[in-house]
Amino acid sequence: MAEVVLENICKTYGNNFHAIDQLNLSVEDGEFLILVGPSGCGKSTALRMIAGLEDITSGSLRIGGVDVVDMPPKDRDIAMVFQSYALYPHMTVSENIAFSMRLAGKPKAERKKRVDEIAKTLQLTSLLDSKPANLSGGQRQRVAMGRAMVREPAAFLMDEPLSNLDAKLRVQMRAEITSLQKQLGVTTIYVTHDQIEAMTMGDRVAVLKGGVLQQVDTPKRLYESPVNAFVAGFIGSPSMNLFEATMTGAELMSGAFAIRLQDAAFVRRPGLKSYAGRKVVFGIRPEDLYDSSLESGRKYQTIPAKVTSIEELGSEHIVHLNIDAVRVDSGDPDAVQDFGLTSNAVARFEPDSAVRSGSAIRLALDDTKLHFFDPETHLAI
Amino acid sequence: MTRQKRSHHKLKRAVAPYLYLSPSLLIIGLLMLLPMVTVIAYSFQNSAVLRRDPSFAGLKHYQAIFDDPVFWASLWHTLYFTCMSVIFHMTIGMVFALMLNSDRINPTLRSVLRVLYILPWLFTAVIIAVIWRLLLEPNGVVNSMLMQIGIIGSKVEWFSSPQTALHAVTFANIWAGYPLFMVSLLAGLQGIPKDFYEAADIDGAKAYQKLIFITIPQLMPIIISISLLDFIWTMQVFPLIWITTGGGPIYSTEVLSTYTYKLAFSSYNLSQASASAVVILLISLGLTLFYIRYQKAR
Repeated sequence: MAEVVLENICKTYGNNFHAIDQLNLSVEDGEFLILVGPSGCGKSTALRMIAGLEDITSGSLRIGGVDVVDMPPKDRDIAMVFQSYALYPHMTVSENIAFSMRLAGKPKAERKKRVDEIAKTLQLTSLLDSKPANLSGGQRQRVAMGRAMVREPAAFLMDEPLSNLDAKLRVQMRAEITSLQKQLGVTTIYVTHDQIEAMTMGDRVAVLKGGVLQQVDTPKRLYESPVNAFVAGFIGSPSMNLFEATMTGAELMSGAFAIRLQDAAFVRRPGLKSYAGRKVVFGIRPEDLYDSSLESGRKYQTIPAKVTSIEELGSEHIVHLNIDAVRVDSGDPDAVQDFGLTSNAVARFEPDSAVRSGSAIRLALDDTKLHFFDPETHLAI
Repeated sequence: MTRQKRSHHKLKRAVAPYLYLSPSLLIIGLLMLLPMVTVIAYSFQNSAVLRRDPSFAGLKHYQAIFDDPVFWASLWHTLYFTCMSVIFHMTIGMVFALMLNSDRINPTLRSVLRVLYILPWLFTAVIIAVIWRLLLEPNGVVNSMLMQIGIIGSKVEWFSSPQTALHAVTFANIWAGYPLFMVSLLAGLQGIPKDFYEAADIDGAKAYQKLIFITIPQLMPIIISISLLDFIWTMQVFPLIWITTGGGPIYSTEVLSTYTYKLAFSSYNLSQASASAVVILLISLGLTLFYIRYQKAR
């Protein structure tokens, strides 16, 4: 086990494209760190640089205190789980797991003992003689884990290992990987574009955008205190609603409505006062918006909204709305999936909400849960 | 719909596939099955083709060719020629495919090599035979180069010496045939996921271990399929040997195809030639069955 430290890591390609720009990250011994971001943000490149599969243009990388920048992958004491699992189809499960030991010239008996131990941990014992083609997605995923575990590495690197599984299996494997990591206590860096995986699995989450690290924090802090509008929009599903408004005294004015801000909002964010008379970006999560006709929404101030569509999920309703405000793009390319093309806001209502698609409603909002961002820099205020 | 109409419709549906197949079945029957059956019939007749009412000969012609030492020499030459050709086609094809697939070679050079390596495939057997007859002439380029670098002391008559003729025609056939393997294996190499090699890099595999444990097993279906096809095709090679050596000198390059041809069109012993052709057919059939079974097993 070891800590992994990245200092000013850069990756530039021949066409002067900066895939990774000045990445500084310290992963503690035994920590489970998630690298998350939208497609093309550089998260997989960063992981491949740690693995030694991509050259590092500049900067320093230490694993267990040893500078590994010029080391080949095999000497870095890491193991990697690939998105495709990279299982050799002509080898059995047992041969796949034992491959690195076979290359290292370990005796057959030692290989068998180790493979049996791992198979027991991963519940693969009955499948040891099967070929990968005869396994289900979840079983293949476990074999890939076994192949990484057999090396007893200082760090695990995982590149979107659950992206090929169906939604139900993904939930199960999320829990399995998390508990296995806790059990083994091996430093793990896990790349995903799925923010639910990021929020549920990691001790800390590092959010990347365009090769630049945006924020590293615990999932809870990332959710509650995003440093900018991108992190605010990216973390949480459905995404945070972000709108432009004008600060007028203690009110946020936008189109036909105004939101009164309590003094506590200014106490928590002293910088907010300087935006008086100016534009500001405010954000509110879908779960902080309520149906004003229900008990839960009666205590909050309301704004007018029109319901465009409703997704009834049983435990909740995802309600797509239009409010009289200009939506702000967080820079997350996946956000359009949350909002669609006809609505500009999304809310999570309790299942007993009776709102109908096409109806005009009063939307209650918890103003203590508002987030504020600078309209130019998109940094949190 | 009445019952009569329904049964008519059913019959039409049942017959339709056979009607679609009938033109191709007719052509196969006329051009392949009929000649094959005729040759088999000839092999059991005395003075086949030459007489109007040939008598039944039983296994006489088979007995005759099995008693002929030239037949056994031809069979041995055919096996040598075929096995060496297939082995070297595969080896050279694999080496060139690995070179063309390697990202260590400059892309421009790779494009040039790709064209150069595939050149032998563009020539017909006649042109290949003429090229190698000229190159391997006693006063040809090959002899003068080998003498200059001191490998041989005097001019070698590659196609005219019984000691070297079989090796020379085999060499010419190897040169002509490796591109099939190269192209097939290159396509196979490009289909091997990069992840396999990256996972092996992390596991500490050396280049030769990646070749043994990943590349070759991944290419095995292609290697076996192409090898079997090459074996079947090479066994039947005729024009290259006929034009370069004509089966000589002193039967040293006689293969089953030239042996059969000579029986038919030099000795006009068409019955015995048919028996020899049936033997070739049986060997090819055995290999083809093996190939089909392998393909089915996959």
